[in-house]
Amino acid sequence: MASLISCPHCGTRPKEEFSIRGAVVARPQPGAKEDAWYRYVFIRDNPKGRYQEYWHHAAGCRRFLVVDRDNLTHEVFAVTDATEFAKNAEVAR
Amino acid sequence: MALTLLHRHVLDDHISGFETNANPNHLSVFRRPVIFSVLAKVGQERAVGAALEAAADIAVRTCAPGEWLAVSQTSGSETVAGQLSAIVDASSVDQSDGKVLLTVSGPSVRKILAKCVAVDLHPDAFADGHSTNMLIGHVTGNLARTGADRFEIIVPRSFAGSVFEELMEMGREFALTAAFAGD
Repeated sequence: MASLISCPHCGTRPKEEFSIRGAVVARPQPGAKEDAWYRYVFIRDNPKGRYQEYWHHAAGCRRFLVVDRDNLTHEVFAVTDATEFAKNAEVAR
Repeated sequence: MALTLLHRHVLDDHISGFETNANPNHLSVFRRPVIFSVLAKVGQERAVGAALEAAADIAVRTCAPGEWLAVSQTSGSETVAGQLSAIVDASSVDQSDGKVLLTVSGPSVRKILAKCVAVDLHPDAFADGHSTNMLIGHVTGNLARTGADRFEIIVPRSFAGSVFEELMEMGREFALTAAFAGD
């Protein structure tokens, strides 16, 4: 249990408690072009390095978190509740 | 035809045959605790949490933001349901039949739990009265500290046998005994 994630609600937990739910991609508007939806559903950057993903804390608070980490070094930069993340993104827009 | 329904605890088969004299390290199972899950409406988490803490004879276990387990070993389920329904902006469901309450206590309890829990249980990190959801031997359960050497575990009923066997295995080197509370 080497990979530790600091859940904002539960504290430091092993990765076994989480389920990775994929990249953080902004959902297009309902009336968006087919091309935008195609990109949203199928196209991922798959970078080697810093990456933002949804992690579901399945064995803890059962909240969706946004984990900002480096998938090469596994350095974790930030863990935010997905609700908070969405609010901040809304403000930034 | 008269139908007689008997209450059998899920751990009845696991505990029968064990020695009855409790060692210092002991696992105790409550036959019929009252356990409710409580959810707060969005934005009302603080108020509901405070109201829960103030409720008499109810121990509060934290699960997530705005989500708790209300546990009582003294009140009946109707009493607890009444107390919880009086809290504004909270909804509650009786989970007593779906959850199993175990108490592990003794001088080696932290060494036993360290083998099946990945959370730091040092008093500085996990103080008396603290509770949270975590993996307990591959099963999601709620662990609470109720004393210096005393922890309470709440697990789903269908997983209780597996968690119980695992705890007994972990506690074997510390001579952990198990029995129903009050037997």
